[in-house]
Amino acid sequence: MSRAARLGAFIVVTLAVLVAGIFIIGGKQYLFSSTYQLKAQFDNVVGLDAGGDVRVGGVHSGTVRSIVLPHKPGEKITVIMDLGKSTHEIIKQDSVATIETEGLLGNQYLAISFGSVTSANVRDGDTIASLPPLEMSDLFQKTSDILDSSQQAIQNTTRATANLASISAKIDGGQGTAGALVNDKQLYNNLEQTTSAMHDTMLHAQAGVTDFQENMEAMKHNFFLRGYFKSRGYEDSAELAKNEIERLPQDTPTKQFTYSAKQLFDKQDSAKLKNQKSLNAGGEFLANNQFGFAVIAVSAGMEGDTQKDLVLTEARAMVIREYLVEHFGFDDSELKTLGMGKQTETNSDAGWGAVQIFIYPPGTAIPPGKQTQAGIASKAAPDQPVQASADPKPKSQ
Amino acid sequence: MIDHESSAVAGMPPQVREPRIQLLSPPPNSAKGLINQFLEWFGELGIFFWHVVRAAVTPPFEFRELFRQLDEIGSKSLPLVALAGAATGVVLSLEARYSLTRFGAKSLLPAAIVFSVIHETGPIITGLVVSGRVGAGIGAELASMKVTEQIDAIEASAVNPYRLLAATRILACILMLPLLTLAADCCGLIMGWVTQAMVEPVSLHQFINAGFSGADFNDFLPPTFKTAVFGLIIGLIACFQGMRTQGGAAGVGRAATSSVVLSSLFVILADVVLVKLIILFFP
Repeated sequence: MSRAARLGAFIVVTLAVLVAGIFIIGGKQYLFSSTYQLKAQFDNVVGLDAGGDVRVGGVHSGTVRSIVLPHKPGEKITVIMDLGKSTHEIIKQDSVATIETEGLLGNQYLAISFGSVTSANVRDGDTIASLPPLEMSDLFQKTSDILDSSQQAIQNTTRATANLASISAKIDGGQGTAGALVNDKQLYNNLEQTTSAMHDTMLHAQAGVTDFQENMEAMKHNFFLRGYFKSRGYEDSAELAKNEIERLPQDTPTKQFTYSAKQLFDKQDSAKLKNQKSLNAGGEFLANNQFGFAVIAVSAGMEGDTQKDLVLTEARAMVIREYLVEHFGFDDSELKTLGMGKQTETNSDAGWGAVQIFIYPPGTAIPPGKQTQAGIASKAAPDQPVQASADPKPKSQ
Repeated sequence: MIDHESSAVAGMPPQVREPRIQLLSPPPNSAKGLINQFLEWFGELGIFFWHVVRAAVTPPFEFRELFRQLDEIGSKSLPLVALAGAATGVVLSLEARYSLTRFGAKSLLPAAIVFSVIHETGPIITGLVVSGRVGAGIGAELASMKVTEQIDAIEASAVNPYRLLAATRILACILMLPLLTLAADCCGLIMGWVTQAMVEPVSLHQFINAGFSGADFNDFLPPTFKTAVFGLIIGLIACFQGMRTQGGAAGVGRAATSSVVLSSLFVILADVVLVKLIILFFP
């Protein structure tokens, strides 16, 4: 190889390296490709430099050409950037420029978001919208605020815990009511003794009530008292409201039987039946026909005590029901009673009151049961002490 | 033209030669003598540089000799410089990999290699290698010409030795150093990539992309062309030391040694100033 050729090769090769280097760096800066220029304005560019990257969707697509400081306060810093032509279809008028940091401590770069499909294309030299950069100092400020408030919260918690500790220490030490409750063993023992004594008392009371009921039953059939119950017409006033309903249903009855109380009952203030045969027409109808349910509605005349009349009408309805159920075969759960007390409009006899049997077609809703004292008593029938309290009532009469 | 040249030849050498003889003869035996010697050396260097510049910018130009020196200094230094650059690339890759991995910044490895090679390692390695090879060569060659009175013979044949011997060599150094630096950079980067690719596969394209991301011309051109200053220093000091030597074979040896030592030293010192200037003017 001649000297000239050697030197020529050397120069060509090294200059090729130079050119390659220039093109690598120039390519990074979009110096040798077709570009267009955009501008964005910021209050603060947080250290973005001329020559910095411009990324569109995270892809390096341009370079910051220059950063121009404003001429007077109140204006914004203008960042002028060159973008590769390939981004022209992506960046639209509504694209937004932001300054972001590579990692936590890396270089700043300008990020431009994709535009919307419908938005207009940008032109060379346009200014696009920008968002203020997230500064680390802001972030630290916020973090510091959060830490401050959490410190406060922790202090509150600490105080609350201290209070709680003091309270539990007091309780533990036997101070105050709660402390006495927790610490006084005697109190607990007393309570336990009381409870067990109460339990025993209850058992005795139960036994006593059962005995008492049997005694009462015996007394009702006793020679001296039998007459009272007989003339009254019924024995157990606890069962008065057993099948009673609150009110008559709204629907019209398919059949209705009306009797005068004077025809049926022995005395004006008694529920003892006299001409029970006259009820047979109604009983036979019930036995021979399909029905939803039937109601025996009894009302009293205007004479006498209102409360007593209510009991009397209930008793009369119950007695009629018992008669019908005993003498005619049908589903007795469908036969309800209703003691209406003093009623004027349905009365056929001012002194005695009336008896009506309403028969309703199948599908009629049965009104709810009556919530009288007697009704509750009948529902709570197994609860003997309550029945005991209801029982003395006829005795006192 | 001949008149002009002969007048320069007739006028200049006695001025230069007089102090040179005085300077070298008395050994420095006191601080004052040492300082005096130091200052005289700089003064002589300045005068020498002035002669060379004047000779270089005035015709006739010694293209033939320049061409020969370009080849001598440039292409013949290429293998050495390329080898040194490649070795530097390997070492940098290994070292940077180790330390960057420790700091969890392994992804910055290409950038670290590229930046350190093109910024500093390539230029300074080239400067030192060339000052060793070329500085010693020039110093020894000119010194032997001096002690065998060939320079006097050139002068006697009405040829300016500054123009023929010094200017061509210095100019060749100035021109060739940046090119050699480019070669060293290239070899360093390629070997840096090879070294990294052997540990962890990465394509050259990706390596170059990652390495040059964020690089601009200020990272590339000023550090490369500052080596022209290294070339000037190497050529100037080697020629100066060669042409002022005296005293036979021992003088030749002294000149070769001193030109290598001084040119290396001044290359490093100049680099300190140049780095600062580049940071100042090419931020």
